[in-house]
Amino acid sequence: MTQLDPRVAMHLSDAAVSVELETPDMTLNIGPQHPSTHGVLRLVARVDGERVEAVEPVIGYMHRGYEKLAEVRTYAQTIALVNRIDWVSGFANEIPFVIAVEKLMDVEAPERAQYIRMILTEMARISSHLIFMSSYPLELGAATPLMHAFRERERILELIEGVTGGRFHPNFNRVGGVKPAAGGGSATKKLIQDLPAGFLQQARDAMDKVLTVCDDLDDLVTGNEVFQARTIGVGVVPRDKALEYGLSGPNLRASGVGFDLRKAEHILPYDGIDFEIPTGENGDCFDRYIVRLAEIRQAARIIQQAVDRIPSGPLQAKVPRVLKVPPGQAYVRAENPKGEMGYYIVSEGGRVPYRVKIRSASFSNLSILPWILENQLIPDLVAIMGSLDFVLGDVDR
Amino acid sequence: MTDSPSEADREDTAADPHAAFAERVASLVGADAWAAEHETVRVVVRRESWVDALRTARDEAGLEFFSWLSALDWSRDVAVGEPAADAEALEERFEVIARLSSVADASAAHFVATVPKDDPWIDSLVPVFAGAGWHEREAAEMFGIDFRGHPNLTKLYLPDSFEGHPLRKSYPLLSREVKPWPGMVDVEDMPSTDNVEADQA
Amino acid sequence: MNFWLLLVIKVVVILGVVLPAALVVIYIELKVPARMQSRIGPYFAGGKYGWAQPLADGLKFLQKEDLVPDAADSSVYKLAPYVVLMGTVGTFVIIPFGPDLVARDLDLGIFYLLAISSLSTLGVLMAGWSSGNKYSLIGGLRAAAQLIAYELPLVLAVVGVAIQAQTLSLNGIVDAQASWEWFGSSPEWLNIVPPYLILQIVGFVIFATASLAELSRIPFDMPIAESELTMGYLTEYSGLRFTMFFLGEYAGMVSLAAVASTLFLGGYWLPWVGDDVLNVLGPGVLLTKVLLLSFIFIWLRWTFPRLREDQLQTMAWKWLIPASLANILATGLLKVVF
Repeated sequence: MTQLDPRVAMHLSDAAVSVELETPDMTLNIGPQHPSTHGVLRLVARVDGERVEAVEPVIGYMHRGYEKLAEVRTYAQTIALVNRIDWVSGFANEIPFVIAVEKLMDVEAPERAQYIRMILTEMARISSHLIFMSSYPLELGAATPLMHAFRERERILELIEGVTGGRFHPNFNRVGGVKPAAGGGSATKKLIQDLPAGFLQQARDAMDKVLTVCDDLDDLVTGNEVFQARTIGVGVVPRDKALEYGLSGPNLRASGVGFDLRKAEHILPYDGIDFEIPTGENGDCFDRYIVRLAEIRQAARIIQQAVDRIPSGPLQAKVPRVLKVPPGQAYVRAENPKGEMGYYIVSEGGRVPYRVKIRSASFSNLSILPWILENQLIPDLVAIMGSLDFVLGDVDR
Repeated sequence: MTDSPSEADREDTAADPHAAFAERVASLVGADAWAAEHETVRVVVRRESWVDALRTARDEAGLEFFSWLSALDWSRDVAVGEPAADAEALEERFEVIARLSSVADASAAHFVATVPKDDPWIDSLVPVFAGAGWHEREAAEMFGIDFRGHPNLTKLYLPDSFEGHPLRKSYPLLSREVKPWPGMVDVEDMPSTDNVEADQA
Repeated sequence: MNFWLLLVIKVVVILGVVLPAALVVIYIELKVPARMQSRIGPYFAGGKYGWAQPLADGLKFLQKEDLVPDAADSSVYKLAPYVVLMGTVGTFVIIPFGPDLVARDLDLGIFYLLAISSLSTLGVLMAGWSSGNKYSLIGGLRAAAQLIAYELPLVLAVVGVAIQAQTLSLNGIVDAQASWEWFGSSPEWLNIVPPYLILQIVGFVIFATASLAELSRIPFDMPIAESELTMGYLTEYSGLRFTMFFLGEYAGMVSLAAVASTLFLGGYWLPWVGDDVLNVLGPGVLLTKVLLLSFIFIWLRWTFPRLREDQLQTMAWKWLIPASLANILATGLLKVVF
């Protein structure tokens, strides 16, 4: 990683002392293997001592070319791809994709399926935000919140696994519903698949636990003076910059924009649910943290209400067994844990899409890095980067 | 769907709020055509007025949130996947698509500019939306479109030495050349059906 | 007794106390945060409660390859860990474990102590500079900045104690605390509540804070700062040399806790017993206090995030140094008045 041997650099500056104190800038490669880059992000930083003068993020180490791969897979096969985009909230990634296909085919999932989608999306949101709650203090040096948050996340993942069979990659949505009721490969023997017995009660109990851990996090992190000193007023994103760079989700709401697709568009039955959109005021790291913490509480509220009013009924609408999507274009976006996730599907009437454009939240959220990291200190670089809460799979797609 | 001249006068706009919105935006930015299908508003602008149109949309239509920018390759030569519906009659071209949305309500629009393949350029949106920078770099490497005025139009995802533009329809998917995808070729038929269909189950 | 024989015995005894104490502190560092994080922590090593985990870790490190990067200045690079360890072990020369249990009771004890404890930071600087790694270099520079900012309050906090006890010898300071009389007439056993903990509470807090910074432990672990500088000056170290740093960190914690116990908590002293008994019980009393303070250090580490370098400097120069100066002034005034 050394371009200029530090010893040589030191001697150079030693030699310059007698005439004039010269401090040459140093190029610091942060990543692709680095504890705070969440995977394989690389930042090429020009630093002057502790101050970062300019940063050029280098991404693409995890580019898997999903947009091309989707062009050669049937719609049902693509569902297995899309939940690997943002792998910490795999379930939520499937939602906008299947709903876009449903829209093109003009089918609608039964209400029970929609409620299950909503409950599991919110669970994915909680688990994703709990990862933030654990990794962000860790990046600032506090290791204890990690264990508390991960313990509750494990509960949520077990619930998701109980329903879908997968902790990270559920692959549970189908066009027109969730995992079909008739399965097993035989027309005579029908397996009835529904939520596992006791799931709704377990979800209720888990939400109580989640709300408790939110209080714990308040005690451990929110009120911590050192945490506040490290985050308040650091990495301020004003409203106009947030919009210009396409920041979405909690990052946008921390900048004071009270926009939430769950309220604005109703691709899932959120309209009957009572919940709030937490927003921040200053758009600093602390606000981004506090908005996410509040969102966990709201998500728990949503799940508590949803399990009370989930209707009974079928899980799968009638769709042709061979999915041929009529020609057309649709863009469907959903409020993912990381922000606006959308799929722009262009169908030409075949069994595979003609083009799928994946709008992932972390990509846009990360694109603000060069602007926001300019003239920050190295410790703040870590604090700011962590507060944007990105997942490299969601950036690179 | 391809652009057709009849798009503008397809249906009555009063019934569909999206169509009404599309018509309003289209008249604001001086668009050639508009459409609103599947709640997705599509406004076709000339590439010469691309930047001005998006600036107008931001300032006057309240579409201040830059969602994404990408491109679409309409091609008769399809290396993998399925060709367009009427591939013979297809006009070879790129469509550059940028999506802006509002953060006050759910309104949003796709702005579409047609870029001919023999002269693939369009003006960069970076002066209007700084966030377009990465999206344009991605579109440039994936489709080979030149975004004029972009401050740093280098490769974003791909290695610097990479040749070709992978998201063009004519670009082959190498893994498919070596080994055909089982899901597409040798799916065992379900006993009760007459067709390849195991994709669904 | 033969001078050389005595010297060997003293060295062996000091190492025999410091290194096991460091291992115990490492064990606490494994078990206490586990408890705080609702984990079990080490469990299998040694059969019960994972008591042998620190030893097992040491054995593991011994087997690791000892890497010296090409870009490193290899002699400095190899020497650095021993300098760190030397600085910490050196402090034990003057720490009294009992009225007669002291390797060397120096008249300028405190002076020696402060001088030798900053040797460790020199080792850190050497490591950071010689590793040939940019992260290590930044880590080393941070350590240097931290040394300058924190050595001052550390020294100034001790000055209050020296004024109070009217001696620089550590044995003298323990004696002064043992024979302290509240308002001229209180019984001696009252001093089981260490008098200097109350009289020099400001000094104690400043000393403890500065010790944390000196040890570069969270919230002052910027020279290591795992999430920023990967591991700071430790980035390139592996195997035995890393173990030396590791041991040095915990031995440093033991030594600074021992110093703090001696200066502020009455050291080895117990009431009701004579000097003969204290020579036997003293080490146990001191080690109890050391472990108690280490526990507090560990508790803080697993509770707080880390500060930023500039915030640390602000804290040192704007708060701790003025506060310690005020403490000296107040101590001096009280000394003159009473």
